[in-house]
Amino acid sequence: MVTLRINGKLVRAKEGEMLLPVLQREKIDIPSLCHHKAVEPYGGCRLCMVEITKQEWSGRQNMVTSCLYPAEDGLIIQTHTTALIELRRTILDLYLARCPDTPEIQKLAAQYGVFQTSYEQVAKPDDCILCGLCTRICDRMGFGAISAVNRGHKREIAPPLKNAPPDCVGCLACALNCPTKHIQYTDCGFTREIWGRKFELLADKQTGRPTITREFADYLSTHRDIPRDYFEQNDESHRKETALILGKIAVWNREVPQ
Amino acid sequence: MTHKLDRLPEILARHPQEPSSLIMVLQDIQQEYHYLPCEALQETARVLGVKLAKVFSVATFYNAFGLNPKGEKVVRVCVGTACHIRGGALIKDQIERQLGIQAGQTTKDGKFSIEVVACVGACAMAPVVIVDGKYHGEVSVGNVTRLVKG
Amino acid sequence: MKILKTKQLEQLAEEYRKTAGRHKKTVTVCCGTGCLAKGAQKIVEAFEEYLDRCKVRDFTVEAVKKTGCHGFCEQGPLVVIEPQGTVYTRVKPKDAESIIEQSIGHDAVIERLLYTNPADGRKIEKYADIPFYAHQRRIALRNVGKIAPDDIREYIAAGGYQALAKVLTKMTPDQVIEEISKSELRGRGGGGFLTGKKWRTCRNVDSDVRYVICNGDEGDPGAFMDCSIMEGDPHAVLEGMMICAFAVGASEGYIYVREEYPLAVIRLKKAIADCEEYGLLGKSILGADFAFSIRIARGAGAFVCGESSALMRSVAGEMGEPRAKYIHSVVKGLYDHPTVLNNVETFVNVPVIINNGAEWFTKIGVAKNSGTKAFSLVGKVRNTGLIEVAMGTTLREIIYDIGGGIIDGRSFKGVQTGGPSGGCLPAALLDLPVDFDSLTEAGSMMGSGGMIVMDDKTCMVDVARYFLNFLVSESCGKCVPCREGLYQLHKMTVKICEGRGTEEDLIKMEKLANQIVAGSLCGLGKSGSKPLLSTLKYYRDEYLAHIRDRKCPAGVCKNLITYRVNPDLCTGCMVCVKACAYQAIAGRKKEPQVIKEDVCRKCGACVAVCKFNAIDVL
Repeated sequence: MVTLRINGKLVRAKEGEMLLPVLQREKIDIPSLCHHKAVEPYGGCRLCMVEITKQEWSGRQNMVTSCLYPAEDGLIIQTHTTALIELRRTILDLYLARCPDTPEIQKLAAQYGVFQTSYEQVAKPDDCILCGLCTRICDRMGFGAISAVNRGHKREIAPPLKNAPPDCVGCLACALNCPTKHIQYTDCGFTREIWGRKFELLADKQTGRPTITREFADYLSTHRDIPRDYFEQNDESHRKETALILGKIAVWNREVPQ
Repeated sequence: MTHKLDRLPEILARHPQEPSSLIMVLQDIQQEYHYLPCEALQETARVLGVKLAKVFSVATFYNAFGLNPKGEKVVRVCVGTACHIRGGALIKDQIERQLGIQAGQTTKDGKFSIEVVACVGACAMAPVVIVDGKYHGEVSVGNVTRLVKG
Repeated sequence: MKILKTKQLEQLAEEYRKTAGRHKKTVTVCCGTGCLAKGAQKIVEAFEEYLDRCKVRDFTVEAVKKTGCHGFCEQGPLVVIEPQGTVYTRVKPKDAESIIEQSIGHDAVIERLLYTNPADGRKIEKYADIPFYAHQRRIALRNVGKIAPDDIREYIAAGGYQALAKVLTKMTPDQVIEEISKSELRGRGGGGFLTGKKWRTCRNVDSDVRYVICNGDEGDPGAFMDCSIMEGDPHAVLEGMMICAFAVGASEGYIYVREEYPLAVIRLKKAIADCEEYGLLGKSILGADFAFSIRIARGAGAFVCGESSALMRSVAGEMGEPRAKYIHSVVKGLYDHPTVLNNVETFVNVPVIINNGAEWFTKIGVAKNSGTKAFSLVGKVRNTGLIEVAMGTTLREIIYDIGGGIIDGRSFKGVQTGGPSGGCLPAALLDLPVDFDSLTEAGSMMGSGGMIVMDDKTCMVDVARYFLNFLVSESCGKCVPCREGLYQLHKMTVKICEGRGTEEDLIKMEKLANQIVAGSLCGLGKSGSKPLLSTLKYYRDEYLAHIRDRKCPAGVCKNLITYRVNPDLCTGCMVCVKACAYQAIAGRKKEPQVIKEDVCRKCGACVAVCKFNAIDVL
């Protein structure tokens, strides 16, 4: 264990754990758009930046992303200095130029006093903030069905060759974890459509309700040793259990070599 | 299209069949076909054991790769700093105007493509235009048309 | 032939000197990118053909040597007659015959091919007397332009691989690191990090696998020093890497070469193959317990891959996206193993330091900035080319003494160093010594060594716009400040260039630029606002002229200029009328023409064809 000083308060943390979870534990309101505990920290949105210093640094300060900076003993952390607030305002202002109509961004920006962008709005605004969560989670699930294409300001998230992605199993991990609900999908009866691809949903034998896609069930039964019929009796009573198993997939992935 | 890819197995065999060969394989495909055909990307993904999405992201990330076929004649305009301050932008505008396409595009008849390149290391003879691999230095708005079309 | 002992290395050098010495005279033809582009290959062929044809007994075909870049690209193609050191400039294939007959056959000098000193109009014969060379100090470029880069024996004969032999037989890895540390050699890629410190850190990490990577990505537009070194002296790069590998305990190395440098790849491949054949790469090198192999990774065109973590991902075949480096790549680099990444120029300095000692090296240059630095001196300077000077040389010495001043006798406006990560320095700073610390303090940076000279016809707002445009297209797009911020900065510079800017924009740009510096993930974003910030600092008047007066003083920004015929100079030859694609010029023959402002698209075609300088850009 190490001791940190966060906004003046002494806090204990595990050595090497990233600062962001520590700050979140301490109920410090620190914005973050690209972080998700299931995947490696990314450092893309730059909103969770904090100022750090140490007694022995003789006054030298450093601005770092808290999601990527490991806890060290004696670290002195400031989370809401004027410089940091100004930086977050600028970042949110820039976000609003790209995503002017996205409620999640509007709300966060309003918290920092930005109500509309002071920059030139991009030509075709949408809700994608390019946080990369969808692709990282998809990779983590072991599918790698979608990816970031092009670079710089032209970057976008797309399935390969912009066609229906062959490696997608319709698990919805991307859409459900998208912080701005940009990734569209439709579930209509026993048909699911996402990324321009149609999937058939399996039916729960007892309730007759749709559960998961055939491809996802196939994947889980062949790669994760989860019996095929498990997903055909996915009633209310063990939905929790299912969630737990799906949640663990990410952890397994790390152990199962690709 | 398939008949065009007969060289692909040989290209793939030149490199270790592992994910780290991806860029090298794509470079060789690009060199052979002057662009990356869809089918080649799919085959590369399969042989190297890389997800197609990753192949696509690498193929769109780097300047060296293109997903569309090139024209018979490729005109590369250097827009490096030395060329820029010696009037490279005017040269680029002129070529674009002459061929009726923007940099990065190919004419409808498939005869010409324009590419921009950030410095080819021939700054002493700026501004530089490279037509089909041949360097032309001290190009002017006046003589560039002849270089390109001639 | 495998060289198993260091003694054999010396024998080989001796033997080669004897066989090479067979030729009393050698014709060296510069085959750097610049000279090749100007037709050097044709010249080599002309020499070879003529020698072949006349079968002169005293000199054989081998006497024509294709070398790397001589540096004086402006005067290329260059041909040097050794050992006299006679330099012929702007040589054409048809000159081959007379050069052989007169300068090789007899000791005559061909006057018309000599360099003319623009200062006094005198012809200069010898290499060392040309002002362009006289003020230089060549260490990194020691062999470039002198040896044939595709022949390992040339390098060995020039004392090559002696430093490697020395470290393998007489030094421990720690002693090597100690020597490099004492030399205070700083990374020539731009950051200026102490090389010895980097090597020490790498060696101290507990790991079975370590890597050495040579960064030959040289992405700065307008810079070609590393290119010239890789093309002109590839073995020096390899030797530096080998010494590093021995010092840090690595057995695998990579050279990451920029996509646009196909010739460098060919030369390096040949050099690696030769080393393998001679037993200088592979197992038990020179009989010592040291194994090392080098592979080439070709870049695929991404400026961001100059950044260490992006470069390492690219070597691994992935997209070049940087990662945050709170754990440095020296500790956790390629494939998560400790990795030393040094630039081409850094590595070529290593063998010299080992041979001559750290003390010798620290005597060159200035305090904390020892040694020399290579630059590509380009832009509006008279002598464009590749140069190398001792650290601490002033900008004035470089631009005026070596560079010969500004072309067409115009006035100096600024010099850009450090590429897209650097800044522009004004005339007031001409006496600034060129070293890592002074340049950074002045708001620019050393960078890899591009030096772009600008005159009064260069618009500084346009230069800032140019660099921002470059960075917007080269940003990887991972983090918001760089992806969105640079995009917005570029938009704002465009606005100013088009005459739509306000003074408020300047303040907004400055603020955003500083936020991008503070907030970006990697070096590209962190330093990407420097070209803008430095021009705002030193050339604010020019921005204000664009905003307040809607004028571009340099005559570059199209929306703010007009083309006008100067009636006093126009002869009415009508050449411009034919050149104008928009029928914007009209008038009678042998009378001054008139440009219709509303039709003129300011393409510059008329200016380019007018022989009388009769078209003014206002």
